[in-house]
Amino acid sequence: MLTLDHLTRTFTSAPSGREILAVDGVSLTVQEGEFLCLLGPSGCGKSTLLNLLAGFIPPSRGTVHFAGQPVIKPAPERAVVFQDAALFPWLTAAQNVEFGLRRLPRKERRQRALDMLGQVGLADFARAHPHELSGGMRQRVAIARALALKPKVLLMDEPFGALDANTREHVQDELLRLWERYQTTVVFVTHNVHEAAYLADRVAVMGPAPHSLCGWRRVEIPRPRDRDGQAVLELSQALREDLSQIPCCVAPNRRPEEEQ
Amino acid sequence: MASFTAGPTSPVPVAESPSPTGWRARQRVRRLLLDSIPGLLVLLVAWQGLAMGVAQLRGVGFPTPWETCQRLGSLLAGTPLLDASIYRHVTDSLGRWVLGFSLATTVGLLVGLVAGAWRWGTRLLLPSVQLAQLIPGLAWIPLALLLFGIGPRATVFMIAVTAMPPIALSVVGGVRHVDPSYIRAARMMGAGPGTLLCRVLLPAALPQILTGLRVGLGNAWRVLVAGEMIVGTGTGIGYAILQARWTLDYASGFACIAIIGLLGLTVERGVFGPLERLVRRRWGRLGESETC
Repeated sequence: MLTLDHLTRTFTSAPSGREILAVDGVSLTVQEGEFLCLLGPSGCGKSTLLNLLAGFIPPSRGTVHFAGQPVIKPAPERAVVFQDAALFPWLTAAQNVEFGLRRLPRKERRQRALDMLGQVGLADFARAHPHELSGGMRQRVAIARALALKPKVLLMDEPFGALDANTREHVQDELLRLWERYQTTVVFVTHNVHEAAYLADRVAVMGPAPHSLCGWRRVEIPRPRDRDGQAVLELSQALREDLSQIPCCVAPNRRPEEEQ
Repeated sequence: MASFTAGPTSPVPVAESPSPTGWRARQRVRRLLLDSIPGLLVLLVAWQGLAMGVAQLRGVGFPTPWETCQRLGSLLAGTPLLDASIYRHVTDSLGRWVLGFSLATTVGLLVGLVAGAWRWGTRLLLPSVQLAQLIPGLAWIPLALLLFGIGPRATVFMIAVTAMPPIALSVVGGVRHVDPSYIRAARMMGAGPGTLLCRVLLPAALPQILTGLRVGLGNAWRVLVAGEMIVGTGTGIGYAILQARWTLDYASGFACIAIIGLLGLTVERGVFGPLERLVRRRWGRLGESETC
């Protein structure tokens, strides 16, 4: 349903005016209902790739098609969950979820927001402001906000990276439950091999350009998976080895030759 | 393990019961009073010393705190000052202040939004605002007189024109530094330009805008008093201070100065203080960086 064809994105580095490749020639098809993880080290352009899929930035070359239509701008059908939740601090949890439902009548909007908050276990916190919530709760509100849009695909940019290990495991299970319930397609960016092995149907291994897409692995482990089971651990190990093959990653805007 | 109602870090309770809040408010008032008393004492002692020194050295009557206080009392009791009660002077001044400041806020918000959100808006509007920011309030007098002649409208104009630039610039700064992920989140949820402006950029910039409003309000207050002295408004605190001098009624002038200070302090502590505290708490790190 999401088709990437030789997708390339360059940035112009401010000091030197030189073109820097962030994503280079990625061709990939995301299947409907699939849970796809984009796995790669920090700074390898996987967030850039997600921003291209969301329509936040246009590609330099190549195309992204969603359900046959070229992606030119963000839309509720491609909902995004950000790394830092990006909830509006001046709104309550419920109002944050309601933000994307402005076209609905007030009562229906309210109801859907409360339903979604209930789905992520935060029914009691509908009237709390983001600063009153923990990091994990904020991320759950962000997931509720995205799912309330009834998206066809959920784009998640390292959403659990800043959470402590225990919370992260809780929210991962929560996400899997919602994914199964709503049959949404998920594209999930992470640098954590174990997270990828536990969550994904398919893992695309990414490296710094020009090795943007190094390969991918299909995950055949049946669900529900055992987080510490043999299968998940073995796959984590395999993914770790995949990553170690990739040339060492340098942040795209600070390459050695740029330093002078 | 399976329950998700409470995360690992337990959050602040959502509903606060009213009694501890009221208690906390009373505590805050008491703390405020206790904190202010030593500073007030220093001020009074210095004032008293100055008054006695001036009386000794120059042989002129310099109103002491006590004389000022007495005069203030009699003014508040209804003794007219320059054919009008002190209440008339104060309400007239406040009226001009509110009018000028409202004008400044409206124009400042509009100009700031246009200059902050659109590139051509920045090019067209920002230079004038930055220029206006550099001009001291009283320098507008010729322009005010040319536009409105002598009278209260000239004062209102001067207030508006000195209060507007800091407001507009704070909106520009605030809107430009909005966390880009807020904008992306809003666009992902289908927000158009209008929604983005009113429901995301403006509230996100609120901490900075409040600072601008505060500066603008201070500017307005200062130029109001100075403007009334010069533009000939017939009433108002500034007018009263200057006119009281002709009758050698310095105590009344001092009483007016005290009123100005008290009014300013009331607005600062009573309106802006609580507002900023609320915004800082809710907006989190965004607000914190603004206050230092």
